Amino acid sequence: MKKETTEELLMKWVDAKLSSDEETQLATLMEEDLGLKDELLAMKTLSESVRTKVPASVEPPYSDFFNSQLMRKVDLEIKSQHPAKKVERWWQSLRWAWAPVGALALVLSFFAGHRVSQPSHGELSKRSAVVGDSLLPTVYFAGEALEAEVISDAEGGVSVIVVNGLSAIRDDIDFATVTTDTPHLPRTYRSSEARRFQ
Amino acid sequence: MAPAGVSPEAGANEQEVPDHELIKACQKGDTRAFESLVTRHRGKVYAMVQNMIKNEADAWDLSQEVFLKVWKALPKFEARAKFSTWLYRITHNVVYDWLRKRKIDSAGELDDGVLNQSDIAAGSRTSPSVSARPDQALANSELGERIHSALATLNAEHRETILLREVQGFDYKEIAKVMNCSLGTVMSRLYYARKKLQSLLSDEKRND
Repeated sequence: MKKETTEELLMKWVDAKLSSDEETQLATLMEEDLGLKDELLAMKTLSESVRTKVPASVEPPYSDFFNSQLMRKVDLEIKSQHPAKKVERWWQSLRWAWAPVGALALVLSFFAGHRVSQPSHGELSKRSAVVGDSLLPTVYFAGEALEAEVISDAEGGVSVIVVNGLSAIRDDIDFATVTTDTPHLPRTYRSSEARRFQ
Repeated sequence: MAPAGVSPEAGANEQEVPDHELIKACQKGDTRAFESLVTRHRGKVYAMVQNMIKNEADAWDLSQEVFLKVWKALPKFEARAKFSTWLYRITHNVVYDWLRKRKIDSAGELDDGVLNQSDIAAGSRTSPSVSARPDQALANSELGERIHSALATLNAEHRETILLREVQGFDYKEIAKVMNCSLGTVMSRLYYARKKLQSLLSDEKRND
């Protein structure tokens, strides 16, 4: 018989847990070893002594303090798992609106910046007119032989418009007070204005 | 809904509330129910730990640790398992962690080295306790103290097996669950623990 099986049989006998089959097996063992029964009886007596002499329950010293100390630890554990909720300020309740307001502010600042960076008409004229410290006419009026040619390059995605026959108007002319007698006016402008006031 | 209002000092009424109801209440966060559960089981846990490590102060601290772990693990506890088996499994883990730590600290042996009487006196007391009357003490001291001394000499596994079987009355399967080992290992440990205990006590008797 295997050693483990024998040990199991012996322990079950001590604990009175043998089945009828196992009892038969153990009886055979006892016949072979005459000292076995005495050994088992001594073991059984010892087990009973341990059972009676070693208490299953012993109150810990200062048992009330044991509970209070433990419950304090439990409370700390609970607090560490559920930290106290922060007091919510009124503006925190509008958290949902932060994103659209932010987007709106971004759009407004874009347009404001765009407008600031766009110079007024006069400034544009002045700025574009000053190239290489020379004053260039930037306002034109249609001349007598006005021609326009469009050169388009579909592959390159480029179009060039060539306009011929434009008469330059000096940018120091104030059109608010201009009359047909104003000097340096293109002739075509003068005649068209004359037609308008006829 | 009895567990919710259970007072740990409720005495007889508290005993009527079964463990599983207290456990359900604990799982809902009822700390009063947990305290009742602690009051009910602290003696057994403390006795087990004290018998395992033979030091009252450490046994007190480790028992606290056991119950704190129980509180943390209770939400995961399933009613299919027996609460006492589960409780002793946690106790087992806490005690063995302590033994391992002690082994590392002292660079000693885990088994007989850490737990034998030369290292820890079986009757060592680190907190005050009530003494028995002299006549009772005399009657109890002989066999009782010899058994305690002999138990202290066993290694941790053998001692735990004996305590779970003889003192706490666990069956073999429960012991296997608590100690996380096979049934065969339990039978073998029980056999050798009983044999060694018997041998120690007969040696002592012979010496007397």
